[in-house]
Amino acid sequence: MTAVLEARGITKHYGHVEALTNANFDVQAGEVVALIGDNGAGKSTLVRILSGAEAADGGEVLFDGKAVQLTSPTDARELGMETVFQDLALAPHLSPVQNMYLGREVMRKGLLGKLGFMDSKAMRDGSRSAFDRLGATVRDLNGTVGGMSGGQRQGIAVARAAAWAQKVIFLDEPTAALGVVQTQNVLDLVRRVSGEGIGVVFISHSMPHVMEVADRIQVMWRGRRVATYNKADTSMEQLVSAMTGAVAQEAS
Amino acid sequence: MKRKSTAIVAALAAVALGAAACGSDSDSGGTTAGGAKDGNYKLAFVQGVAGDAFYITMECGIKEEAAKEGATVTTQGAQKFDPTLQTPILQSVIASKPDAILIAPTDVSAMQQPIAQAKAQGIKIVLVDTTLNDPSVAVSAISSDNTAGGKAAFEAIQKLAPNGGKVLGVGVQPGISTTDARDKGFADAAKADSKFTYLGVQYSQNDPAKAASIVSAALQKDPDIVGIFASNLFSAQGSATGIRQAGKQGQVNVVGFDAGPEQIKALQDGTVQALIAQQPGDIGVQGVQQAIKALKGESNEANIQTGSTIITKDTIDSAEGKAAAYKASC
Amino acid sequence: MSTTTTAPPASTEDAPTSRLSRISRLQALQILILLVVTIAVFTALRPDTFLTGFNIRGIVQNTAIYAVLGVGMTFVIITGGIDLSVGSVLVFSGVVADKIMVAYGGQGWGTVLVGLVAALASGLAWGLLNGILVAKAKVPPLVVTLGSLSAALGFAQIITKGLDLRDAPQTLVNDIGFGNIVGQVPTIAVVSAVVVIFGIVLLHRTRLGLYTYAIGSNAEAGRRAGVKVERHLIKVYAFAGLLAGFAGLLNLGFFQSTTIGGQSNTPLNVIAGVAIGGTSLFGGIGSVFGTVIGLFIPIVLQNGFIQTGVQPFWQQVVVGAVLVAVVYVDQLRRAAALRGTKTRLPFLSRAGSTSRKGSA
Repeated sequence: MTAVLEARGITKHYGHVEALTNANFDVQAGEVVALIGDNGAGKSTLVRILSGAEAADGGEVLFDGKAVQLTSPTDARELGMETVFQDLALAPHLSPVQNMYLGREVMRKGLLGKLGFMDSKAMRDGSRSAFDRLGATVRDLNGTVGGMSGGQRQGIAVARAAAWAQKVIFLDEPTAALGVVQTQNVLDLVRRVSGEGIGVVFISHSMPHVMEVADRIQVMWRGRRVATYNKADTSMEQLVSAMTGAVAQEAS
Repeated sequence: MKRKSTAIVAALAAVALGAAACGSDSDSGGTTAGGAKDGNYKLAFVQGVAGDAFYITMECGIKEEAAKEGATVTTQGAQKFDPTLQTPILQSVIASKPDAILIAPTDVSAMQQPIAQAKAQGIKIVLVDTTLNDPSVAVSAISSDNTAGGKAAFEAIQKLAPNGGKVLGVGVQPGISTTDARDKGFADAAKADSKFTYLGVQYSQNDPAKAASIVSAALQKDPDIVGIFASNLFSAQGSATGIRQAGKQGQVNVVGFDAGPEQIKALQDGTVQALIAQQPGDIGVQGVQQAIKALKGESNEANIQTGSTIITKDTIDSAEGKAAAYKASC
Repeated sequence: MSTTTTAPPASTEDAPTSRLSRISRLQALQILILLVVTIAVFTALRPDTFLTGFNIRGIVQNTAIYAVLGVGMTFVIITGGIDLSVGSVLVFSGVVADKIMVAYGGQGWGTVLVGLVAALASGLAWGLLNGILVAKAKVPPLVVTLGSLSAALGFAQIITKGLDLRDAPQTLVNDIGFGNIVGQVPTIAVVSAVVVIFGIVLLHRTRLGLYTYAIGSNAEAGRRAGVKVERHLIKVYAFAGLLAGFAGLLNLGFFQSTTIGGQSNTPLNVIAGVAIGGTSLFGGIGSVFGTVIGLFIPIVLQNGFIQTGVQPFWQQVVVGAVLVAVVYVDQLRRAAALRGTKTRLPFLSRAGSTSRKGSA
C-alpha cells in the first residue's frame, strides 16, 4: 500500500544551521502517525515543508505515490492537506465562523456573490455542524476567537482543519497548553478524524498522549528520522532512548 | 445587548431630533438676525492668522473704534494663513449671526464663496488688508497701498546699497493679493533701476524655516546679493536666519515688511536693515467705521488705501517709529 | 459535510456576544453619546445660532471631504497600516484634474466628468504605488506613505510651479462644491454620505471587508488560510488612494483652489477621527460609522467654541485630550478582553510580519 504522503531525503538549512538532513517520513490514509523528537530535532521544520509553508532545499515529496511541488500552503490545501500550527493561525478579532471559512468563504448566489457579498447563514450552519460533528465546544459562534479559552480555540483550529482536509492533517503540539479535559477532547477528535480515512500527523512532546492516540510513531533526531515503531511493538523507554539518539534504525 | 443598544441609539436620536426641533423653533421665534439697535452692533473679526502682531494691532484698532461706537467685537483666527482652515471658522462665525464681519481673506478665490454666503445671510462684509477676486460682496475693502509699500522697500535698499547689485524677493505664496502687490511694486521699481539686477521672487509658504533655506540657497548661487525684500513677517524672520547661516551679515540688506515686535528687535540687532510698516491699527479703525456706516444705511467708500512708513535703525526710537511699530497685545 | 450530529450545545444563537465585540459596539456608542452631549451643550449655550439649518449645513459641509478620506483611512488602519499621504494625494489629484479640465475646456458636467476620471486615476495611481511598496517591497507603511506624502506634494508643486490653480469649472464649484441637491441639503454632503454608506457595506458585508479585518487581526493566519494578503493590501491602499483622488475633486469644487499649502494637517486630522471613532491602530477592529462620528467631533467643537467665544486654540487641546483618553480607555478594555494582542504598532513593521507570539 502506498503512503498517502511520503517525504524522501528532505534537506533544509537556515544559514549554516542544518535543520533537516536527508529526512524521511510517511503517513498512510486513516492512521495516526506521531512525530516525536527532542527540541530542535526538526519536527516543526518538516511539517512546515510538508504543508507548503516553507520550501525544502533538497529531497522529494510524494503524494499518493506521485512527486509533487509544494510551493505554498495553497498547494498543500489543494491536495487535501490541512495543518494546525502551534500558534493555531486563528484571527483573534474574527468569529469562529469567520475563521472557519477564512479564505474559503461561501458567496451569495448570482450578482451579489460576484460583487463580493457572502452567504453568512450558510457559513454559520456549516460551522455549527462541523463543530458538532467533531465535538468541539464552541459556545458562541458570533463572538471573537481572541476572547475564548485556549481549549475552545484549539477545538476551533482542529475542527477547521478537519472540516477541510480530505487526505492529511498535521497537528503541531495540539495539546501543549491544554488542561486534562480539553486534552482528552482533542485526542478524541484526533481519533474521530482518522476514523474518516484521513491521515493524521501528530507532533507531541507528551509520551502518554502519543501512546494513547498514535498507530505508528516516527522518531526524529538531529534533523532526520532515526526510527519508526508500531505502537503495539514499542514502549515509552524505547521511544525515549530513540529520541536521545541511542537507537538508529535508519542510516544517515 | 444588541436590542438594548439599539434602543439607546434610538432614544439618543430622538433627543437629538427634539433638540434640533427646539433649536429651530427658538430660531424662528427669537430675535431676527441683524435687528440690533443703533450703537449695539455685534461685530466679528476674522483674522488671516491668529497670534500675528499685524492682526493683533488691527484687532486693537478695531476694538478701540468699536468701543467708541458701543459695538461688541469677537475675534477669531486660524493657526495658519490657510483657506482650508479659515473656511470652517468663517462658517461658524456666520452661524453666530453677527451684524458685520471684518475679514482678511486668506485666498482671493477660495474665500469668495464662503464670504458670499455671509452676505447671503444679510451680514455686512468689510475686507481688511487682503481682498477677493470679486470684492463687490463687501461694502468696503480697506488695505495698505501694497504696491507703494513694495516700491518703498526698494527705495530703502537704494539708500542702503547706493552702488546697486543683485536683489531678491522672498514672498509668502502666490495668490495673496497684498503680498502679490508688494512683490510687484518691488519688482517694478527694481527693474526700472539699471544699477540693480532683480533675481525674481521665491515663495516661503509663510514658513520661516523655508524662507531661511531659500535665502541660504540663493546666497550659495549668488553670493553677491545686496538686498532682499521679504514681503511679510515670517519671510523676514526666515531671511535674517538664512543670511546668518550664510555668514553674510553686513553685506546683504534685508528689508522687511511689517513691524512686529520681533522685527523691531531684528532691526535693533541689525539683522534687518529696514522695515516697511503698514498701518494695521488704522485699517481696523476704518474697517469698523465702514461697517457701522453700512449698518446704519449710510454710503460706503468701496476702496480705502492706507499708507506705510519706512523704519530704519535711525528712526526706530523716534515718536514716529514707535507709533509705526506693531503691538503684541492691546 | 456529514450530517451526523451529536446533541447540539445549548443554543449558540442566543449566547451573549463575547466581551470584545460588545466593547467595540460600546465604544461607537460612547463616541456617539459624546457627540450628542457636545451638541446639546452648545445648543443650550447658543440656542439661537447653534442648531440652525445654516450651521448644521456648515458643519456637515466641513466634514464631508474628511469623511471621504476617513472611509479609506479606516480600511487601511484596520489592516494595521497607516496612510499619511492622503492630503498630498488629494492635492495632486486636484491639480491633475484642474489641468485636464482646463485643457478639455468648458464649464459644464462633461468637463466635471473628465475631471472626475482624472482625479480618480491620479489617486488610484498613488494608492497602487503605496500598496505595492507596502505589500510587495515590505517597506513599513509609515515610511512608504511618508514618502508619498512628500513626493505627491512635490509633483503637485512641480506641475503648478507652486501656484495654486483656481480655474475649476463653474459646475464643479456651484453645483457640487457649494450647491444643494435639494432644498438646503448640500450636494457635497450627499456625495460624501454615499461614499460612507458604500464604505460601510464594503467593510461589513463583503469578502473584501472580511479580509481587511483578517489581515489586521493576524496576517499570517490569513496567508495560511489562503488569503492573498499582498494582493489584498494593495487593494486596500489603492482604495484609500482612489478616495483621496475623489476628495481632491470635491476639494477643488469646495475651495475653488488646489489648496497646495493647506493640506499638511489633513492626514493627521483624519487619523485622529478614525482613532476617536474606535478603530484600533493595532488593526483588526474598527468601523466606518465610528470614523464619521470621530470626524464630526473636532469640527463640532471648533464651531461651538467659536460661537461661544472660546479661543479656538482650545479646540486643539480638547481634541488632543479626547483622542488620548479614548484610545487609552479602549486599550485598557481590550487588553482585558483579548489575549495575545500585538505589542508593537503594526504600521511600524513590515506588512504581514507576525509580531505575535505563539499562544494556545
